[in-house]
Amino acid sequence: MSVPLDRLQADFAAALVDSSAASTVVPALAGKDARVLDRLALYRGNVSAAWEKALANAYPVVRALVGDEFFSGLARAYGRAHPSVSGDLNRFGARFAEFIDGFEHTRTLPYLGDVAALEWSVHAAHYATDPVALTRERIAALPPDELLMARFALHPACAWLRSPFPVASIWLAHQPQATVALPDTIDRGEIALVVRPLWRVEVLLSSAGELAALARLREGADLEAVITAGLQADAEFAFPKALVRWLDCAVLVEPPAEAAS
Amino acid sequence: MKSVIDWDSQNAAANRLGGVGIGLRAPHYRELLARERCTDWLEAHSENYFGDGGYDLHVLTRLRERYPISLHGVGLGLGSAAGYSTGHLQRLAALVRRIEPALVSEHLCWGAVDGRVLNDLLPLPMTRAALELMCGRVAEMQDTLQRQVLVENVSSYVRFAGDDYDEAGFLNELARRSGCGILLDVNNLYVNQLNHGADAAAQIDAIAPEHVGEIHLAGHLVTELAVIDHHGARVTEAVWALYERAIARCGCIPTLIEWDTDVPQLDVLIDEAGRAQQRCAARSNCDVRAA
Repeated sequence: MSVPLDRLQADFAAALVDSSAASTVVPALAGKDARVLDRLALYRGNVSAAWEKALANAYPVVRALVGDEFFSGLARAYGRAHPSVSGDLNRFGARFAEFIDGFEHTRTLPYLGDVAALEWSVHAAHYATDPVALTRERIAALPPDELLMARFALHPACAWLRSPFPVASIWLAHQPQATVALPDTIDRGEIALVVRPLWRVEVLLSSAGELAALARLREGADLEAVITAGLQADAEFAFPKALVRWLDCAVLVEPPAEAAS
Repeated sequence: MKSVIDWDSQNAAANRLGGVGIGLRAPHYRELLARERCTDWLEAHSENYFGDGGYDLHVLTRLRERYPISLHGVGLGLGSAAGYSTGHLQRLAALVRRIEPALVSEHLCWGAVDGRVLNDLLPLPMTRAALELMCGRVAEMQDTLQRQVLVENVSSYVRFAGDDYDEAGFLNELARRSGCGILLDVNNLYVNQLNHGADAAAQIDAIAPEHVGEIHLAGHLVTELAVIDHHGARVTEAVWALYERAIARCGCIPTLIEWDTDVPQLDVLIDEAGRAQQRCAARSNCDVRAA
Protein backbone atom coordinates (compact mmCIF):
# COMPACT_ATOMS: atom_id res chain seq x y z
CA MET A 1 0.00 0.00 0.00
CA SER A 2 2.88 2.32 0.72
CA VAL A 3 3.51 4.85 -2.05
CA PRO A 4 6.98 6.46 -1.85
CA LEU A 5 6.82 10.00 -0.45
CA ASP A 6 8.09 11.71 -3.60
CA ARG A 7 5.48 9.92 -5.72
CA LEU A 8 2.74 10.71 -3.20
CA GLN A 9 3.65 14.40 -3.22
CA ALA A 10 3.84 14.47 -7.03
CA ASP A 11 0.31 13.02 -7.21
CA PHE A 12 -0.92 15.48 -4.57
CA ALA A 13 0.67 18.41 -6.42
CA ALA A 14 -0.89 17.34 -9.72
CA ALA A 15 -4.30 17.41 -8.04
CA LEU A 16 -3.70 20.99 -6.89
CA VAL A 17 -2.81 22.31 -10.33
CA ASP A 18 -5.42 20.46 -12.38
CA SER A 19 -8.73 19.08 -11.07
CA SER A 20 -8.78 16.35 -13.73
CA ALA A 21 -5.64 14.86 -12.14
CA ALA A 22 -7.16 14.74 -8.64
CA SER A 23 -8.31 11.13 -8.58
CA THR A 24 -4.80 9.61 -8.53
CA VAL A 25 -3.98 10.75 -5.00
CA VAL A 26 -7.41 9.98 -3.50
CA PRO A 27 -6.71 6.34 -2.48
CA ALA A 28 -3.78 7.55 -0.34
CA LEU A 29 -6.04 9.86 1.67
CA ALA A 30 -8.33 9.03 4.58
CA GLY A 31 -12.09 9.53 4.35
CA LYS A 32 -14.82 9.21 1.76
CA ASP A 33 -13.74 9.92 -1.82
CA ALA A 34 -16.30 12.68 -2.46
CA ARG A 35 -15.26 14.59 0.65
CA VAL A 36 -11.57 14.12 -0.09
CA LEU A 37 -12.09 15.54 -3.59
CA ASP A 38 -13.92 18.55 -2.15
CA ARG A 39 -11.13 19.12 0.33
CA LEU A 40 -8.48 18.86 -2.40
CA ALA A 41 -10.43 21.54 -4.26
CA LEU A 42 -9.90 23.82 -1.23
CA TYR A 43 -6.14 23.36 -1.59
CA ARG A 44 -6.43 23.98 -5.33
CA GLY A 45 -8.21 27.24 -4.52
CA ASN A 46 -5.42 28.18 -2.07
CA VAL A 47 -2.78 27.62 -4.72
CA SER A 48 -4.45 29.81 -7.32
CA ALA A 49 -5.30 32.41 -4.64
CA ALA A 50 -1.59 32.56 -3.77
CA TRP A 51 -0.71 33.14 -7.44
CA GLU A 52 -3.33 35.87 -7.71
CA LYS A 53 -2.30 37.57 -4.48
CA ALA A 54 1.38 37.59 -5.42
CA LEU A 55 0.69 38.90 -8.92
CA ALA A 56 -1.79 41.51 -7.64
CA ASN A 57 0.90 42.73 -5.25
CA ALA A 58 3.47 43.14 -8.02
CA TYR A 59 1.11 44.21 -10.81
CA PRO A 60 -1.57 46.56 -9.39
CA VAL A 61 -1.76 48.66 -12.58
CA VAL A 62 -2.20 45.63 -14.87
CA ARG A 63 -4.95 44.50 -12.51
CA ALA A 64 -6.66 47.89 -12.60
CA LEU A 65 -6.44 47.92 -16.41
CA VAL A 66 -8.05 44.50 -16.94
CA GLY A 67 -10.35 44.34 -13.90
CA ASP A 68 -10.29 41.90 -10.96
CA GLU A 69 -12.18 39.09 -12.64
CA PHE A 70 -10.07 38.98 -15.77
CA PHE A 71 -6.94 39.32 -13.65
CA SER A 72 -7.93 36.18 -11.67
CA GLY A 73 -8.13 34.21 -14.88
CA LEU A 74 -4.86 35.67 -16.10
CA ALA A 75 -3.19 34.69 -12.81
CA ARG A 76 -4.47 31.09 -13.08
CA ALA A 77 -3.29 30.79 -16.68
CA TYR A 78 0.11 32.23 -15.77
CA GLY A 79 0.50 29.99 -12.71
CA ARG A 80 -0.14 26.87 -14.78
CA ALA A 81 2.18 27.95 -17.59
CA HIS A 82 4.99 29.31 -15.41
CA PRO A 83 5.19 27.37 -12.15
CA SER A 84 6.33 29.19 -9.06
CA VAL A 85 9.93 28.13 -8.47
CA SER A 86 10.51 29.74 -5.09
CA GLY A 87 9.04 29.52 -1.60
CA ASP A 88 9.33 33.30 -1.67
CA LEU A 89 6.19 34.50 -3.46
CA ASN A 90 7.73 37.92 -4.04
CA ARG A 91 9.75 36.21 -6.77
CA PHE A 92 6.65 34.86 -8.50
CA GLY A 93 5.69 36.69 -11.67
CA ALA A 94 9.07 37.44 -13.22
CA ARG A 95 7.84 36.31 -16.66
CA PHE A 96 4.37 37.86 -16.49
CA ALA A 97 5.12 40.54 -19.13
CA GLU A 98 6.42 37.93 -21.56
CA PHE A 99 3.38 35.75 -20.84
CA ILE A 100 0.96 38.62 -21.46
CA ASP A 101 2.69 39.42 -24.77
CA GLY A 102 1.99 35.88 -25.96
CA PHE A 103 -1.50 35.49 -24.43
CA GLU A 104 -4.28 35.53 -27.02
CA HIS A 105 -6.92 37.04 -24.74
CA THR A 106 -4.91 40.23 -24.10
CA ARG A 107 -4.13 40.97 -27.75
CA THR A 108 -6.61 43.85 -27.73
CA LEU A 109 -4.45 45.55 -25.08
CA PRO A 110 -1.09 45.74 -26.89
CA TYR A 111 0.47 48.00 -24.21
CA LEU A 112 -0.34 45.61 -21.32
CA GLY A 113 2.92 43.63 -21.60
CA ASP A 114 5.03 46.79 -21.36
CA VAL A 115 3.02 48.02 -18.37
CA ALA A 116 3.74 44.66 -16.73
CA ALA A 117 7.45 44.93 -17.55
CA LEU A 118 7.53 48.37 -15.93
CA GLU A 119 5.71 47.09 -12.85
CA TRP A 120 8.21 44.24 -12.45
CA SER A 121 11.05 46.82 -12.48
CA VAL A 122 9.16 48.78 -9.81
CA HIS A 123 8.68 45.58 -7.79
CA ALA A 124 12.39 44.68 -8.06
CA ALA A 125 13.36 48.24 -7.11
CA HIS A 126 11.37 47.89 -3.88
CA TYR A 127 13.69 45.05 -2.77
CA ALA A 128 16.98 46.43 -4.11
CA THR A 129 19.90 47.08 -1.75
CA ASP A 130 20.25 50.41 0.04
CA PRO A 131 23.57 52.00 -0.97
CA VAL A 132 24.23 55.59 0.09
CA ALA A 133 23.26 57.82 -2.82
CA LEU A 134 25.51 60.63 -4.03
CA THR A 135 24.62 64.05 -2.69
CA ARG A 136 24.79 67.48 -4.27
CA GLU A 137 27.52 68.30 -1.75
CA ARG A 138 29.66 65.44 -3.00
CA ILE A 139 29.43 66.75 -6.56
CA ALA A 140 29.89 70.38 -5.50
CA ALA A 141 33.09 69.43 -3.69
CA LEU A 142 34.68 68.11 -6.89
CA PRO A 143 37.19 70.54 -8.50
CA PRO A 144 35.74 71.63 -11.89
CA ASP A 145 38.53 69.96 -13.86
CA GLU A 146 37.81 66.63 -12.12
CA LEU A 147 34.06 66.67 -12.63
CA LEU A 148 34.20 65.57 -16.24
CA MET A 149 36.57 62.73 -15.38
CA ALA A 150 34.42 61.45 -12.50
CA ARG A 151 32.82 58.03 -12.78
CA PHE A 152 29.78 56.93 -10.82
CA ALA A 153 27.53 53.89 -10.65
CA LEU A 154 23.76 53.53 -10.83
CA HIS A 155 21.63 52.79 -7.79
CA PRO A 156 20.59 49.10 -7.98
CA ALA A 157 16.93 50.15 -7.92
CA CYS A 158 17.39 52.24 -11.07
CA ALA A 159 15.93 50.76 -14.28
CA TRP A 160 14.30 51.97 -17.45
CA LEU A 161 11.93 50.87 -20.15
CA ARG A 162 11.60 52.22 -23.68
CA SER A 163 8.13 51.46 -25.00
CA PRO A 164 6.14 52.30 -28.15
CA PHE A 165 3.28 53.02 -25.73
CA PRO A 166 2.88 55.73 -23.05
CA VAL A 167 3.70 53.31 -20.21
CA ALA A 168 5.02 55.88 -17.75
CA SER A 169 1.85 57.99 -18.08
CA ILE A 170 -0.36 54.91 -17.73
CA TRP A 171 1.51 53.89 -14.56
CA LEU A 172 1.44 57.42 -13.12
CA ALA A 173 -2.28 57.85 -13.80
CA HIS A 174 -2.99 54.76 -11.68
CA GLN A 175 -1.17 55.93 -8.56
CA PRO A 176 -3.06 57.15 -5.49
CA GLN A 177 -3.41 60.93 -5.67
CA ALA A 178 -2.35 60.81 -9.32
CA THR A 179 -1.79 64.18 -10.93
CA VAL A 180 -1.35 62.64 -14.36
CA ALA A 181 -4.43 61.80 -16.44
CA LEU A 182 -4.66 58.63 -18.49
CA PRO A 183 -3.16 59.32 -21.92
CA ASP A 184 -5.83 60.00 -24.57
CA THR A 185 -3.92 57.95 -27.13
CA ILE A 186 -1.75 54.87 -26.88
CA ASP A 187 0.05 55.71 -30.13
CA ARG A 188 2.82 57.61 -28.43
CA GLY A 189 6.03 56.03 -27.19
CA GLU A 190 7.57 56.84 -23.81
CA ILE A 191 10.68 56.07 -21.84
CA ALA A 192 10.03 55.27 -18.19
CA LEU A 193 12.76 55.68 -15.58
CA VAL A 194 12.41 53.77 -12.28
CA VAL A 195 14.10 55.35 -9.27
CA ARG A 196 13.96 54.88 -5.51
CA PRO A 197 14.77 58.02 -3.55
CA LEU A 198 14.83 56.75 0.06
CA TRP A 199 12.20 53.96 0.24
CA ARG A 200 9.40 54.81 -2.16
CA VAL A 201 9.79 53.69 -5.75
CA GLU A 202 8.91 56.33 -8.34
CA VAL A 203 8.48 56.27 -12.10
CA LEU A 204 9.68 59.29 -14.08
CA LEU A 205 9.17 60.22 -17.68
CA SER A 206 12.57 60.09 -19.32
CA SER A 207 14.06 61.08 -22.69
CA ALA A 208 16.30 59.52 -25.31
CA GLY A 209 19.16 61.80 -24.24
CA GLU A 210 18.87 60.95 -20.55
CA LEU A 211 18.58 57.26 -21.33
CA ALA A 212 21.71 57.26 -23.54
CA ALA A 213 23.59 59.14 -20.83
CA LEU A 214 22.53 56.72 -18.08
CA ALA A 215 23.37 53.73 -20.25
CA ARG A 216 26.94 55.06 -20.70
CA LEU A 217 27.18 55.84 -17.01
CA ARG A 218 26.16 52.27 -16.17
CA GLU A 219 28.97 51.02 -18.41
CA GLY A 220 31.45 52.88 -16.20
CA ALA A 221 32.14 55.82 -18.52
CA ASP A 222 33.31 59.18 -17.13
CA LEU A 223 30.91 62.14 -17.10
CA GLU A 224 32.39 63.62 -20.27
CA ALA A 225 31.49 60.47 -22.20
CA VAL A 226 28.11 60.40 -20.46
CA ILE A 227 27.34 63.95 -21.62
CA THR A 228 28.53 63.15 -25.16
CA ALA A 229 26.28 60.09 -25.33
CA GLY A 230 23.32 62.17 -24.13
CA LEU A 231 23.93 64.87 -26.74
CA GLN A 232 24.43 62.36 -29.54
CA ALA A 233 21.05 60.81 -28.76
CA ASP A 234 19.31 64.16 -28.31
CA ALA A 235 20.81 67.53 -29.21
CA GLU A 236 18.52 69.12 -26.59
CA PHE A 237 19.90 66.98 -23.75
CA ALA A 238 20.55 69.33 -20.80
CA PHE A 239 23.13 67.68 -18.59
CA PRO A 240 22.99 70.07 -15.58
CA LYS A 241 19.24 69.58 -15.33
CA ALA A 242 19.62 65.79 -15.65
CA LEU A 243 22.36 65.72 -13.02
CA VAL A 244 20.22 67.59 -10.50
CA ARG A 245 17.36 65.17 -11.10
CA TRP A 246 19.66 62.15 -10.70
CA LEU A 247 20.96 63.51 -7.41
CA ASP A 248 17.47 64.32 -6.14
CA CYS A 249 16.20 60.86 -7.04
CA ALA A 250 19.16 58.85 -5.71
CA VAL A 251 20.11 57.57 -9.16
CA LEU A 252 23.86 57.86 -8.59
CA VAL A 253 26.04 56.01 -6.11
CA GLU A 254 29.79 55.71 -5.65
CA PRO A 255 31.35 53.28 -8.13
CA PRO A 256 32.85 50.00 -6.93
CA ALA A 257 36.21 50.66 -5.24
CA GLU A 258 38.41 49.31 -8.07
CA ALA A 259 36.76 51.61 -10.64
CA ALA A 260 36.86 54.73 -8.50
CA SER A 261 40.08 56.30 -9.76
CA MET B 1 20.74 12.37 13.08
CA LYS B 2 21.14 14.85 15.94
CA SER B 3 23.12 17.93 14.89
CA VAL B 4 26.46 18.56 16.49
CA ILE B 5 26.08 22.26 17.10
CA ASP B 6 27.61 24.59 19.61
CA TRP B 7 24.30 26.08 20.60
CA ASP B 8 25.66 27.51 23.83
CA SER B 9 27.52 30.32 22.11
CA GLN B 10 24.55 30.81 19.82
CA ASN B 11 22.13 31.09 22.69
CA ALA B 12 24.40 33.42 24.63
CA ALA B 13 24.44 35.80 21.69
CA ALA B 14 20.72 35.69 21.05
CA ASN B 15 18.40 38.14 22.69
CA ARG B 16 15.97 36.29 24.91
CA LEU B 17 12.29 36.32 24.24
CA GLY B 18 9.32 35.78 26.51
CA GLY B 19 5.70 36.75 27.05
CA VAL B 20 3.11 37.32 24.34
CA GLY B 21 4.03 38.70 20.93
CA ILE B 22 2.15 39.69 17.80
CA GLY B 23 2.73 39.07 14.11
CA LEU B 24 4.42 41.92 12.24
CA ARG B 25 2.28 43.00 9.27
CA ALA B 26 2.91 45.83 6.81
CA PRO B 27 -0.25 47.83 7.68
CA HIS B 28 1.17 48.28 11.21
CA TYR B 29 4.70 49.36 10.24
CA ARG B 30 4.22 53.09 10.74
CA GLU B 31 2.39 52.77 14.04
CA LEU B 32 4.90 50.30 15.48
CA LEU B 33 7.78 52.58 14.51
CA ALA B 34 6.05 55.61 16.02
CA ARG B 35 4.72 54.08 19.24
CA GLU B 36 6.38 53.18 22.47
CA ARG B 37 6.98 49.48 22.93
CA CYS B 38 3.52 47.90 22.92
CA THR B 39 4.09 44.14 22.78
CA ASP B 40 6.63 41.72 24.24
CA TRP B 41 8.02 40.64 20.87
CA LEU B 42 7.31 40.53 17.16
CA GLU B 43 7.16 37.63 14.76
CA ALA B 44 8.03 38.33 11.13
CA HIS B 45 7.38 36.01 8.20
CA SER B 46 10.94 35.37 7.03
CA GLU B 47 10.19 35.41 3.30
CA ASN B 48 8.78 38.96 3.46
CA TYR B 49 12.33 40.11 4.29
CA PHE B 50 14.30 38.11 1.73
CA GLY B 51 15.03 41.20 -0.38
CA ASP B 52 18.59 42.54 -0.64
CA GLY B 53 17.35 45.79 0.86
CA GLY B 54 14.39 48.14 0.70
CA TYR B 55 11.68 49.37 3.03
CA ASP B 56 10.48 46.10 4.59
CA LEU B 57 13.98 45.11 5.68
CA HIS B 58 14.63 48.66 6.87
CA VAL B 59 11.52 48.54 9.08
CA LEU B 60 12.41 45.12 10.50
CA THR B 61 15.94 46.31 11.27
CA ARG B 62 14.59 49.38 13.08
CA LEU B 63 12.02 47.37 15.04
CA ARG B 64 14.73 44.87 15.93
CA GLU B 65 16.33 47.65 17.99
CA ARG B 66 13.20 47.79 20.16
CA TYR B 67 11.71 44.29 20.11
CA PRO B 68 12.98 40.72 20.23
CA ILE B 69 12.20 39.19 16.85
CA SER B 70 11.08 35.70 15.90
CA LEU B 71 11.61 34.74 12.24
CA HIS B 72 8.83 32.42 11.13
CA GLY B 73 9.35 30.77 7.76
CA VAL B 74 6.44 29.85 5.52
CA GLY B 75 8.28 28.84 2.35
CA LEU B 76 11.04 26.33 3.04
CA GLY B 77 8.85 23.24 2.76
CA LEU B 78 11.06 21.08 4.98
CA GLY B 79 9.13 17.94 4.06
CA SER B 80 9.27 18.27 0.26
CA ALA B 81 10.79 14.99 -0.94
CA ALA B 82 11.71 16.57 -4.30
CA GLY B 83 12.05 20.24 -5.19
CA TYR B 84 13.50 21.21 -1.80
CA SER B 85 15.61 24.37 -2.18
CA THR B 86 18.86 24.81 -0.30
CA GLY B 87 18.99 28.25 -1.96
CA HIS B 88 15.93 29.20 0.09
CA LEU B 89 17.70 27.99 3.22
CA GLN B 90 20.75 30.09 2.30
CA ARG B 91 18.59 33.21 1.94
CA LEU B 92 17.08 32.47 5.35
CA ALA B 93 20.60 32.06 6.78
CA ALA B 94 21.56 35.50 5.42
CA LEU B 95 18.47 37.04 7.05
CA VAL B 96 19.21 35.28 10.35
CA ARG B 97 22.76 36.68 10.30
CA ARG B 98 21.39 40.14 9.65
CA ILE B 99 18.54 40.19 12.18
CA GLU B 100 19.95 37.87 14.88
CA PRO B 101 16.44 36.78 15.89
CA ALA B 102 15.58 35.27 19.26
CA LEU B 103 13.68 32.42 17.58
CA VAL B 104 13.58 30.78 14.18
CA SER B 105 10.71 28.52 13.20
CA GLU B 106 9.26 26.62 10.25
CA HIS B 107 6.43 24.16 9.63
CA LEU B 108 5.87 20.45 9.66
CA CYS B 109 4.83 20.43 6.02
CA TRP B 110 5.91 20.17 2.43
CA GLY B 111 5.37 22.64 -0.42
CA ALA B 112 7.21 21.69 -3.59
CA VAL B 113 7.69 18.98 -6.17
CA ASP B 114 10.26 18.79 -8.92
CA GLY B 115 9.83 21.95 -11.04
CA ARG B 116 6.97 23.52 -9.10
CA VAL B 117 6.54 25.25 -5.75
CA LEU B 118 2.94 25.26 -4.50
CA ASN B 119 3.44 28.02 -1.90
CA ASP B 120 1.19 26.35 0.64
CA LEU B 121 1.73 24.51 3.92
CA LEU B 122 0.76 21.03 2.75
CA PRO B 123 0.30 18.13 5.17
CA LEU B 124 2.77 15.28 5.43
CA PRO B 125 1.76 11.69 5.98
CA MET B 126 2.68 10.89 9.59
CA THR B 127 4.87 7.98 8.54
CA ARG B 128 8.31 6.70 9.45
CA ALA B 129 9.55 7.69 5.97
CA ALA B 130 8.32 11.26 6.43
CA LEU B 131 9.93 11.36 9.89
CA GLU B 132 13.27 10.23 8.45
CA LEU B 133 13.10 12.96 5.82
CA MET B 134 12.11 15.64 8.34
CA CYS B 135 14.87 14.66 10.77
CA GLY B 136 17.48 15.07 8.03
CA ARG B 137 16.08 18.38 6.82
CA VAL B 138 15.77 19.85 10.31
CA ALA B 139 19.35 18.77 11.08
CA GLU B 140 20.53 20.47 7.88
CA MET B 141 18.56 23.61 8.73
CA GLN B 142 19.98 23.75 12.25
CA ASP B 143 23.51 23.12 11.00
CA THR B 144 23.17 25.86 8.39
CA LEU B 145 21.69 28.39 10.81
CA GLN B 146 23.90 27.21 13.68
CA ARG B 147 20.98 27.25 16.07
CA GLN B 148 17.95 25.34 17.21
CA VAL B 149 14.77 25.83 15.22
CA LEU B 150 11.15 25.26 16.20
CA VAL B 151 8.84 23.20 13.99
CA GLU B 152 5.11 23.96 13.95
CA ASN B 153 2.16 21.62 13.46
CA VAL B 154 -0.07 22.72 10.57
CA SER B 155 -3.80 22.59 9.98
CA SER B 156 -5.01 20.45 7.12
CA TYR B 157 -8.06 19.67 5.01
CA VAL B 158 -7.07 16.08 4.34
CA ARG B 159 -5.36 13.29 6.21
CA PHE B 160 -3.39 10.38 4.83
CA ALA B 161 -4.42 6.77 5.24
CA GLY B 162 -1.97 4.52 7.06
CA ASP B 163 -0.22 6.98 9.39
CA ASP B 164 2.34 5.50 11.79
CA TYR B 165 2.04 8.38 14.30
CA ASP B 166 -0.42 10.99 15.44
CA GLU B 167 0.80 14.60 15.21
CA ALA B 168 2.02 14.82 18.80
CA GLY B 169 3.86 11.52 18.48
CA PHE B 170 5.50 12.64 15.24
CA LEU B 171 6.55 16.01 16.67
CA ASN B 172 7.88 14.46 19.88
CA GLU B 173 9.97 12.01 17.90
CA LEU B 174 11.21 14.72 15.53
CA ALA B 175 12.24 16.92 18.47
CA ARG B 176 13.90 14.02 20.31
CA ARG B 177 15.89 12.90 17.30
CA SER B 178 16.83 16.22 15.66
CA GLY B 179 17.11 18.42 18.74
CA CYS B 180 14.57 20.89 17.35
CA GLY B 181 11.86 22.47 19.46
CA ILE B 182 8.12 22.32 18.90
CA LEU B 183 6.01 25.33 18.00
CA LEU B 184 2.58 24.23 19.15
CA ASP B 185 -0.21 25.88 17.18
CA VAL B 186 -3.25 25.35 19.38
CA ASN B 187 -5.65 26.73 16.80
CA ASN B 188 -4.32 24.28 14.20
CA LEU B 189 -4.93 21.39 16.59
CA TYR B 190 -8.50 22.58 17.05
CA VAL B 191 -9.04 23.07 13.31
CA ASN B 192 -7.80 19.52 12.74
CA GLN B 193 -10.16 18.26 15.41
CA LEU B 194 -13.07 19.81 13.55
CA ASN B 195 -11.79 18.68 10.15
CA HIS B 196 -10.68 15.15 11.02
CA GLY B 197 -11.95 14.37 14.49
CA ALA B 198 -8.43 14.29 15.97
CA ASP B 199 -8.88 15.10 19.67
CA ALA B 200 -6.96 18.37 20.23
CA ALA B 201 -6.92 18.06 24.02
CA ALA B 202 -5.48 14.56 23.74
CA GLN B 203 -2.77 15.88 21.41
CA ILE B 204 -1.84 18.56 23.95
CA ASP B 205 -1.77 15.95 26.71
CA ALA B 206 0.54 13.78 24.59
CA ILE B 207 3.03 16.46 23.58
CA ALA B 208 6.42 16.36 25.33
CA PRO B 209 6.36 19.67 27.25
CA GLU B 210 10.15 19.94 27.49
CA HIS B 211 10.35 20.36 23.72
CA VAL B 212 7.65 23.02 23.31
CA GLY B 213 9.27 26.44 22.80
CA GLU B 214 6.40 28.57 21.55
CA ILE B 215 2.63 28.57 21.13
CA HIS B 216 0.66 30.10 18.26
CA LEU B 217 -2.91 31.38 18.63
CA ALA B 218 -5.17 32.58 15.83
CA GLY B 219 -8.74 32.72 14.61
CA HIS B 220 -10.31 30.32 12.14
CA LEU B 221 -13.25 30.27 9.77
CA VAL B 222 -15.95 27.60 9.88
CA THR B 223 -17.35 26.76 6.44
CA GLU B 224 -19.66 24.00 5.26
CA LEU B 225 -16.85 22.11 3.58
CA ALA B 226 -14.13 22.46 6.20
CA VAL B 227 -12.73 24.68 8.92
CA ILE B 228 -10.18 27.05 7.47
CA ASP B 229 -7.21 28.30 9.40
CA HIS B 230 -7.48 31.80 7.92
CA HIS B 231 -5.93 33.88 10.75
CA GLY B 232 -8.56 36.51 10.21
CA ALA B 233 -10.55 36.63 13.46
CA ARG B 234 -10.35 36.64 17.24
CA VAL B 235 -9.26 33.47 19.02
CA THR B 236 -12.35 31.41 19.84
CA GLU B 237 -13.36 30.31 23.35
CA ALA B 238 -12.65 26.68 22.50
CA VAL B 239 -9.10 27.58 21.47
CA TRP B 240 -8.59 29.68 24.61
CA ALA B 241 -9.58 26.64 26.66
CA LEU B 242 -7.01 24.56 24.79
CA TYR B 243 -4.43 27.29 25.37
CA GLU B 244 -5.07 27.11 29.11
CA ARG B 245 -4.58 23.37 28.90
CA ALA B 246 -1.34 23.83 26.95
CA ILE B 247 0.19 26.35 29.38
CA ALA B 248 -0.87 24.20 32.32
CA ARG B 249 1.23 21.45 30.74
CA CYS B 250 4.10 23.39 29.16
CA GLY B 251 4.34 26.52 31.32
CA CYS B 252 3.90 30.11 30.17
CA ILE B 253 6.09 29.82 27.14
CA PRO B 254 6.33 32.54 24.46
CA THR B 255 2.95 32.90 22.77
CA LEU B 256 2.04 34.60 19.50
CA ILE B 257 -1.19 36.17 18.26
CA GLU B 258 -1.32 35.63 14.48
CA TRP B 259 -3.55 37.69 12.21
CA ASP B 260 -2.99 37.61 8.44
CA THR B 261 -6.38 38.10 6.75
CA ASP B 262 -8.34 41.36 7.09
CA VAL B 263 -5.63 42.70 9.39
CA PRO B 264 -7.35 44.86 12.05
CA GLN B 265 -6.07 47.88 13.97
CA LEU B 266 -2.90 47.24 15.93
CA ASP B 267 -4.79 47.74 19.19
CA VAL B 268 -7.00 44.73 18.44
CA LEU B 269 -3.91 42.53 18.29
CA ILE B 270 -2.55 44.08 21.46
CA ASP B 271 -5.88 43.46 23.18
CA GLU B 272 -5.83 39.84 22.03
CA ALA B 273 -2.28 39.49 23.33
CA GLY B 274 -3.54 40.85 26.65
CA ARG B 275 -6.05 38.02 26.86
CA ALA B 276 -3.23 35.51 26.52
CA GLN B 277 -1.23 37.39 29.17
CA GLN B 278 -4.19 37.25 31.57
CA ARG B 279 -4.37 33.50 31.15
CA CYS B 280 -0.66 33.19 31.82
CA ALA B 281 -0.95 35.38 34.92
CA ALA B 282 -3.88 33.33 36.18
CA ARG B 283 -1.95 30.12 35.90
CA SER B 284 -0.60 29.38 39.36
CA ASN B 285 3.19 29.34 39.79
CA CYS B 286 3.55 30.81 36.35
CA ASP B 287 7.17 30.34 35.39
CA VAL B 288 7.79 32.59 32.43
CA ARG B 289 10.29 30.55 30.50
CA ALA B 290 12.37 32.40 28.01
CA ALA B 291 12.96 30.63 24.74
